Amino acid sequence: MSFEEIPHTADVKIHASAPTLEALFSETFKALMQVMYGTERGDGTIRKIRIESTDNESLLADFLSEALFLSEVEGLVFSDARIRINGYCLIAELRGESFDPARHSGGSEVKGISYSGLEIMHDANGYMLDIIFDV
Amino acid sequence: MLEGLNRVGIYEWEVPIGYVPGMRVAGRFFLSESLAKTLEPGAVQQLANVATLPGILKNSLAMPDIHWGYGFPIGGVAAFSVDEGVISPGGVGFDINCGVRLLSTPLLHKDVSGRRDLIDELFRTVPTGVGAKSCLKVSSQSLDGMMVKGARWAVSAGYGVERDLMRCEEGGVMNAADTRFISAKAKQRGIPQGGTLGSGNHFLEIQVVREIFDPDAAKAFGLTLGQVCCMIHCGSRGLGHQVCTDHLKILESATKKYHITIPDRQLACAPITSPEGRAYFGAMAASANYAWANRQMITHTTRQVLSKMFRVEYEEMPLIYDVAHNVAKIEEHILNGKSRKVCVHRKGATRAFGPGSRDLPPDLTSIGQPVIIPGSMGTSSYVLHGTQLAMDRTFGSTCHGAGRIMSRTQAKKNLNGREITANLLKEGIIVRAHSENAIADEAPGVYKPSDEVVNVVHEVGISRLVARLSPLGVIKG
Repeated sequence: MSFEEIPHTADVKIHASAPTLEALFSETFKALMQVMYGTERGDGTIRKIRIESTDNESLLADFLSEALFLSEVEGLVFSDARIRINGYCLIAELRGESFDPARHSGGSEVKGISYSGLEIMHDANGYMLDIIFDV
Repeated sequence: MLEGLNRVGIYEWEVPIGYVPGMRVAGRFFLSESLAKTLEPGAVQQLANVATLPGILKNSLAMPDIHWGYGFPIGGVAAFSVDEGVISPGGVGFDINCGVRLLSTPLLHKDVSGRRDLIDELFRTVPTGVGAKSCLKVSSQSLDGMMVKGARWAVSAGYGVERDLMRCEEGGVMNAADTRFISAKAKQRGIPQGGTLGSGNHFLEIQVVREIFDPDAAKAFGLTLGQVCCMIHCGSRGLGHQVCTDHLKILESATKKYHITIPDRQLACAPITSPEGRAYFGAMAASANYAWANRQMITHTTRQVLSKMFRVEYEEMPLIYDVAHNVAKIEEHILNGKSRKVCVHRKGATRAFGPGSRDLPPDLTSIGQPVIIPGSMGTSSYVLHGTQLAMDRTFGSTCHGAGRIMSRTQAKKNLNGREITANLLKEGIIVRAHSENAIADEAPGVYKPSDEVVNVVHEVGISRLVARLSPLGVIKG
């Protein structure tokens, strides 16, 4: 279970892999938060969200877009997500803390989650994807 | 050069029909041989993908700052028939009306040279970076004003002078704005961010005019050698990002509903005349207006700082011009000898209307539109003017900046923010940012040399050089 940033000229491209779809979503979510706020992210505050979509890729993009929205308007920096997926419906418990300029200012604001080249693949080892965040 | 492309001029290349399946027109891009060395296959593929969209006219185009983005390539320009064509958020991007403006001052190089306090004060007063909130209070009523009236709202609220509006593309407002198609979420994001710069490649830079190439045009624009100017680069913030996210979803369904085949989901689109296409266009225009108001508010803060620190009158700092470089617009262009309304998408490209164009202020009609091309931290920025050739060849468009060549991962690995700051200081450039990573991410070496990019558009003739400015101090998000 991991994610890494791979070279992309204009934006941030993430490769993530995990044994389950839920874990893959969680890794990608953590990658998003790391790009925006760095690695020093605590918890203590919980937000619950529910997303319904039409396929796995849209479900992921909608989930991450909702996380971006919540993070920005509530001033929250998330560290982890517990996710349940049933069909194309997702319920997530997001854990995080309030934005602290001293610890969270080092990242890049993500403007949006791109669909370009987004495809969730599945083989015997689990799930993987490449995703581009517009920064 | 990559295989499968045809050279059709010293600086011009063709991506022939068939490069990717379903192309309706050929692709064309402008590039010098040295810039061609860093051209990515992904960028050419994206240029070709755009050529598959219904109603595309003439060519799918890219400027010499072409690079790999999502949906359209960055540097991409495409015009679509209003009757049979489509509109796509992939041709505009998440940061709707990301753009740049240049503010002049009566100050000279010697007045501001080495004045760290000026850069510190700008860094303190203009909110920058992730999580930054505005000091200028925006009510929900003001937000409506920003979205409907753009820079005009900002001026009426006291954030500028009437003349500023004459010096904005579109007068700083797109009348097609329709706030019915702006979600509550987008509004919620827009309220606290009016007057904020953002992060990434956005910046505010104090510059000095180092070289004048075209004295008549420079005089008409209000630029003189040795003069201190201020360049502001930012967009529509979270409001625009949310509008793109929301409408991408709607347009994805519409793509299926109207049986449009697209090679990349980020190119989701709908006929311009369809309810979904109109809704996106109205929301996009409202976001563009928000961005113009936002740049106007930052201009106001900057003028206040300069007034206070250098005893310069507010009115002594006229706006040279403000251009959008991520936007779709309905414009009239001549096609096969006839004037036609078309929907021009510019994704990382700048409008460059030539002399005689309708949207220009009367005093600039004979010169052409000012085009502002920001450099990267430490490298020169340029002012050019639009040309008739741009009207004939590129739907009145030119490049928008230097264009990245190094990924952010490489930049962080190979470059050190502290060293870059120290090196820039040796050249007399003061940099303030929230983190060293942000500096490494946007270091001069990660971009194509801006001089080479502008040299191509100048030589091709789709805009012509007027002046070169170099940085003295910069604040980054």
